[in-house]
Amino acid sequence: MAIGRGGATTAVLAALLLAACGREARDIGPSLGETPPRGGSDPRIPYYQDNVYQVAQGGRYFGWYGCVACHVEGAVGVRDLGDGRWQHGGGFDQVYAAIARRHGALNYAARIPAEPLWQLTAYVRDLPQHTPEKRRRLAIDQVGEPHGRSWSGPVR
Amino acid sequence: MIPDLDRRDRLSLTWRDPPGWWGFLTTVDHKRIAARYIVTALLLLFLAGLLALDMRWQLSWAENDRMGPQLYNESFSLHGSTMLFLVSVPAMEAMALWLVPLMLGQRNMAFPRLGAFSYWLYLGGVLTLWVAHALDVTPDLGWFEYPPLSGPNYAPGHRADIWAQMITFTEVAALCASVNVAATILKMRPPGMTLARMPVFLWAMLVASLMTILSMPAIMLVTSMLIADRLVSTHFFAPAANGDVLLFQHLFWFFGHPEVYIIFIPATGFVSSIVETFARRRLFGHHVLVLAILAIGCLAFGLWVHHMFAVGLPRLGNDFYTAASMAIAVPAGLQIFCWIATMATGRTWLATPMLWVLGFVATFVLGGLSGVMTASAALDLQLTDSYFVVAHFHYVLVGGAMFPLFGAFCYWYPKATGRMMSERWGRVAFALIVGGFNLGFAPMHLLGLMGMPRRVYTYPAGMGWEGLNQIATLGSAIAVAGGLVFVANALLSYWRGAPAGADPWGASTLEWAGESPSPPWNLAYTPVVDSLTPLWDSPVLRVMDGVAIERREVIVTSVVDAAPLYRQKSAAPSIWPVVAALAVTAMFLGSIFTPWAIAAGALPIAAALTGWFWPQRGRATTGPLRVRS
Ligand code: HEC
Ligand code: HEM
Ligand SMILES: [Cu+2]
Repeated sequence: MAIGRGGATTAVLAALLLAACGREARDIGPSLGETPPRGGSDPRIPYYQDNVYQVAQGGRYFGWYGCVACHVEGAVGVRDLGDGRWQHGGGFDQVYAAIARRHGALNYAARIPAEPLWQLTAYVRDLPQHTPEKRRRLAIDQVGEPHGRSWSGPVR
Repeated sequence: MIPDLDRRDRLSLTWRDPPGWWGFLTTVDHKRIAARYIVTALLLLFLAGLLALDMRWQLSWAENDRMGPQLYNESFSLHGSTMLFLVSVPAMEAMALWLVPLMLGQRNMAFPRLGAFSYWLYLGGVLTLWVAHALDVTPDLGWFEYPPLSGPNYAPGHRADIWAQMITFTEVAALCASVNVAATILKMRPPGMTLARMPVFLWAMLVASLMTILSMPAIMLVTSMLIADRLVSTHFFAPAANGDVLLFQHLFWFFGHPEVYIIFIPATGFVSSIVETFARRRLFGHHVLVLAILAIGCLAFGLWVHHMFAVGLPRLGNDFYTAASMAIAVPAGLQIFCWIATMATGRTWLATPMLWVLGFVATFVLGGLSGVMTASAALDLQLTDSYFVVAHFHYVLVGGAMFPLFGAFCYWYPKATGRMMSERWGRVAFALIVGGFNLGFAPMHLLGLMGMPRRVYTYPAGMGWEGLNQIATLGSAIAVAGGLVFVANALLSYWRGAPAGADPWGASTLEWAGESPSPPWNLAYTPVVDSLTPLWDSPVLRVMDGVAIERREVIVTSVVDAAPLYRQKSAAPSIWPVVAALAVTAMFLGSIFTPWAIAAGALPIAAALTGWFWPQRGRATTGPLRVRS
């Protein structure tokens, strides 16, 4: 009995540990995402998708590269990225490809390096879990950052 | 007066704890609670010290990549937050919890269960920070986490929440302890101990408690606002939505500056007690010392802006706070002169506690001098965020608070354990810690002047910083080794030390009147005091009777004259403080993840508090309101 309970506690702790480690990590160093994902089960995907720092970086690039110009709050149809419906598939590699290859002349595959594209993909796929007020709050903190063409200078 | 055996037995029966684990969880004995506080804080001092040594090792070579920037950020954040919130402040509160009733000749604190609750909540804060660290969710933004860096956009995840919630824990715990200490000192002094006859130690603890009560709400407010910004998207610190990031800094430092005095003022209490005992004379300038403590307590609330000189406030503001910061050197200096005068005119005896006082005076004066330098707004613009500041605050925190704490530990150790610590090993530890500390931290002043910033994980070769950094690491290692000697001495003396007797140092205040270690009921009779140094002035301590011994009872006296007013029931051991602390812990932790935890968590807390304060009707023997304890 006592052993059983100890074992259960250990298991719970171990599960917590596994869940926690990686999620909050903040690696600043040589990056994994130097080439596009190879299929929907590329082993590098969890490193980006399950990490709050990588997702948050994607959120910042979302502003920097001017994605908000079209994918604004309240956009409809395919431009609404937060509705959880994916025109071109919701797999990591599919969303990645949609960003990189489906924007015509914007040609993000050539204009955005691979690592930010990984982060953008992770962010976009995370969006359905964000509430609108959360998205708005983050945008408010970001007005001081270079915002595509609509940037109005640093906050005073 | 020596109590007869029968009286002792009856007191023991009344004041004992239930045996075993139940007693461990339910005790309201201020000495047991304080001992837990102290052991926990010392353990954390050790852990955070190892962390510091790790950082020092990292900085010993240029371009060292043993630690990355992220790990270094986590290390100094954990080190600084632990040292300030979980070591220094709680250790000082613990000394008050332990000593105040003894020095007042009382049986317990004014609110015994609040003391227990305070410890359990503090433990909750300790576990929050360090279990999170074990799960790799370590705060990484320093010991003050400014927004917008700590806001929702730049600090995703829960690292900043853990930091903010750890503060909420420790601040609620500190408030409980302070209210308790202030009420005990003001209303439970023994007959005859008028305010004018109150030892400096008690003044120090009273002022520090009042300061805690006045300053802590600011930081609880500000960390709660931060959590609200992060959790429910409020705009307190979002300038683009008419919030204000400087508001955070003002509120933080409105607490943060008084905090260093909340740490330092109790230390002046320790020093005053030790100096008086080992100089074998009454303190020179007792009134000056008391007034200086009161002055520091007031001035400390008017200085906080000196932590914000570099943010670009109006010139006049900077000038005002420069002047105010320099003014506080006056009362601090007066205190130092009073202690020196006492030592110089007494028959001073250099036992280890006294050595620590000497180490304190030398080190703290150096830290005060670099403090006056950084207090000048013009100079601070150069020095801020450099290693000079690291040197300065370690000189005042370690020299001004840790050294007196170690001295106090050696001084009151015989009272707590009934054994003497080894003088020889005490001296070795003293020499290693004070020598190592000064060797290690003095070069940091130079490093700062040479331009080395604080909070960098490494630096380029060719800056000329390596040599001094290596000396700093060497000194730190020596100091940590001295700390191990200190701890080993304390542990070994617990079993092997010579028996101490009631008053091994020939001291003057009431805590030395009873046996060592103090029994759960402290003194057998209520002492009556007619001077500042009762044990020196009356050959036999005068006492009075009349407080019950077959039930838990304490005596309450008037605030100024300490005239006996009435007898008051003192709370018995109870499980409710632990239960309430668990309920509060659940609510605090839950509110990191969802705002609903605050509403849902309030119910168990209300239930626990209802149990805690369940009324009893005086003569009822049956029914829900019957008398239980
Ligand atoms: C000029 C307007 C515009 C900009 C700027 C823009 N997008 Fe798009 N985006 C579109 C349109 C239109 C589509 C639909 C394309 C299609 O269906 O072929 C789309 C599709 C997508 C999709 C696929 C949605 C689905 O349902 O499968 C994603 C993901 C996406 N964009 C992300 C981004 C990111 C990230 C950026 C910034 C780097 C960006 N977009 C910038 C207009 C834009
Ligand atoms: C031997 C003992 C100690 C050593 C070797 C040590 C070393 C260090 C080091 C290397 C840093 C990081 C400096 C930087 O790069 O910015 C630091 C920061 C700090 N230390 Fe210590 N320290 C010691 C004891 C203490 C004590 C006892 C306290 C408090 C009572 C303390 C409080 C702090 C604080 C508040 C910080 C700032 C953290 C921050 O920047 O947020 N230290 N210490
Ligand atoms: Cu200050």
